[in-house]
Amino acid sequence: VNNPYLEKQLAGEKSQLGFLSGQSTALMRLEQVYNEQQVDGLNSSIGKFFNSFRELSTNPESMPKRIAVKESADLLTRDFNRVGEQLADIRKEANGQAQIQVNEINSVTQEIASLNMQVQKVEIGGGFANDERDRRDALLKNLGELIDIKWAEGKDSTVTISTADDAILVVGNEARKLEAVSTPGRENKAEGDFDIMYYHNEYAAPMVLTDRIRGGKLGGLLSVRDGDVAEFERKIDMLSFEIANRVNDLHRQGHNSYNQRGEDFFAHVGSQDGAAGTIKINPTILGDVGRIVAGADPNSPGDNRIANMIGDVQHSKSLLDGATSIDEYYNGMVAELGIRTQNINGMVETQEGVVRQLENLRESYSGVNIDEEVANMIEWQKQFDASARIIRTADEMLDTVINIRRY
Amino acid sequence: MRVADKMNYNQSLNAINKNRSEMMTYQHQAATQKRINKPSDDPLGAVRVLEKKTEMQGFEQYKRNILSAKEFIEYSEQSLSQASEMLIRAKELAIDQADDAANGAESRSIVAAEIKQIYEQMVNIGNRKFGDRFLFGGYKSMTTPFDMTGTYFGDDAEMDVQIEKDAYITMNIPGSVVFMGKKLHQPLPPKETLQDDKTQVEVRGPSSTDPLSPTSQTIANSAEGHWGMVSTNVFEVLRDLEVGLRANDKYVVQNSLDYLDNAISQINMARGELGSRVTSLNSGLETLQKLNVDAKVVQSEIEDVDMYDLVNNLSKTQTQLEASLATSGKMMKTTLLDFLR
Repeated sequence: VNNPYLEKQLAGEKSQLGFLSGQSTALMRLEQVYNEQQVDGLNSSIGKFFNSFRELSTNPESMPKRIAVKESADLLTRDFNRVGEQLADIRKEANGQAQIQVNEINSVTQEIASLNMQVQKVEIGGGFANDERDRRDALLKNLGELIDIKWAEGKDSTVTISTADDAILVVGNEARKLEAVSTPGRENKAEGDFDIMYYHNEYAAPMVLTDRIRGGKLGGLLSVRDGDVAEFERKIDMLSFEIANRVNDLHRQGHNSYNQRGEDFFAHVGSQDGAAGTIKINPTILGDVGRIVAGADPNSPGDNRIANMIGDVQHSKSLLDGATSIDEYYNGMVAELGIRTQNINGMVETQEGVVRQLENLRESYSGVNIDEEVANMIEWQKQFDASARIIRTADEMLDTVINIRRY
Repeated sequence: MRVADKMNYNQSLNAINKNRSEMMTYQHQAATQKRINKPSDDPLGAVRVLEKKTEMQGFEQYKRNILSAKEFIEYSEQSLSQASEMLIRAKELAIDQADDAANGAESRSIVAAEIKQIYEQMVNIGNRKFGDRFLFGGYKSMTTPFDMTGTYFGDDAEMDVQIEKDAYITMNIPGSVVFMGKKLHQPLPPKETLQDDKTQVEVRGPSSTDPLSPTSQTIANSAEGHWGMVSTNVFEVLRDLEVGLRANDKYVVQNSLDYLDNAISQINMARGELGSRVTSLNSGLETLQKLNVDAKVVQSEIEDVDMYDLVNNLSKTQTQLEASLATSGKMMKTTLLDFLR
């Protein structure tokens, strides 16, 4: 026995749960990149970098202090690179996951299509394909957890499944495949990331479904990849870009220990895109710390004005049109990520509760209870006993009748 | 409500899972002694912790800045106090030689030699080094500031060092100010305006007139030094005194008494300023230490775990877990079958 209305509701909620838990997994990975509660991360290396210039300002003539500046800058760039790489890794991982899920979806739809045929075969002859139907229901639920689907059963006993508004996945005994394809970048999707492609038929041009998948694990994964990961990549890029430019602008204004006009401190960063992954110290400065600029004027080894000004960059409200400082911006980023992860985790928990409740309802309706079964069994056994007794009585009666003449 | 067996199993499993994951969270907190182990544990708290960490990093740096500025300033002050002592000695000698009683050309030329020595020592003090940099050369800290003629090769720059988030303190006093009486604006203006100021510097030359004559008076009041007093070139004062002594000119010697007074008070004003900088650095240091402790307390309050709370929670969860396990065991075991014998 089952309740079709309940089954459909459960499938919908499971799809939502898949969506949320897909997001939660990806967000928790993202959060880990910015987690510096136990270890030192970007927040600390940004502080160290600017402090090294403050230290230099107390003794701009000193070689060891210049080396310290170089080392802290090296630490900072490597930390930015690390974050950039880890974000790229998350992206890569999301793509790999998407590929796996697309394959899974394809094999499930294939199986549903063949079950469609079997159900039809059995039921066209007036029978009822219980086993096949049960298996098909289970697969539908699995599919719903992977991707948001709509389905309906036709008069011919087959189910038709569609996803992303109107892309038909299964009709009759035919399953249409999805494909994960690496495509050029656009708006929120990075270069090389997978798009989910759909083909109406062998000859039709592929249709991009990526932004229209809004449920299931795949939807959750894609929404984090093109939403949160993309957003935080942009933010960290912009932060590293701004730090590099602000420090470079000041650095170029002064003079180094050879009385030459200052050059860029960080190697020139052309565009904001991917800046965090590529930021590095200008190689000539890396090779010769005498080229680090502390003072404004030439022939003034004790001049520390530029070093002071670079130190001030840390706290000056220079980002987002003067709304926030470097520190505040980074901390705001961590807070935002934390809040989002917290929210999603809360939603996953709630959704798990909803699904559990529905599952209980379904079990209550369709599930097996041993007490009940045993009771039923005993009931049937008793009936059997009673029937047997009737037969025996009838037998005895017949016996009596047959033997009646002897007396 | 009809209860299927699977509902029982599910419920038991859920309860046990929930208890176990709670246990794990608490155990992690106990192991790290931290309530916040990742930003999502308490996003706003986590960010406050980051802010405090940055603050404390800054405090540590400002402390180092204060200490190195203090060292530099104290060394400058010490050097100037020697300079001041020497000028007082020069003044004593000059007073002795200011009248004609018992002073002839011979004794004056002996004293002149001593004054020459004081002059040389004064130049040495002007060239005093702290580590490998000159104390009194302004930004030209690697160039010897004074040659033996008392010509200044440094600049008028003041080195500012950050000692608080929005506060700087000047570390040095340029030799042009303390030894040559140049007046600087406070705080240091940009380079361009400094060029215009050069005209303000007026250095007094020797005068052989009677100190009471009106011309001498006007000269004495004409130029104003850095601390709003008469601008004096210490080297010239000493050199003029030496010249006067050698020339056996008592008026010059008498004149230089005033000048020496000015020179002494100019050096002492510089010492006073350095001393007050040290005082403010000391109080800055105390403030920093206090702020640092405050920040640590706040950080700990936000992120550290409350042990009583934690142990309490742990034992509560433990009890729950045991209860779940015990009831599950009993519930799953019993069916109608057990009673059909």
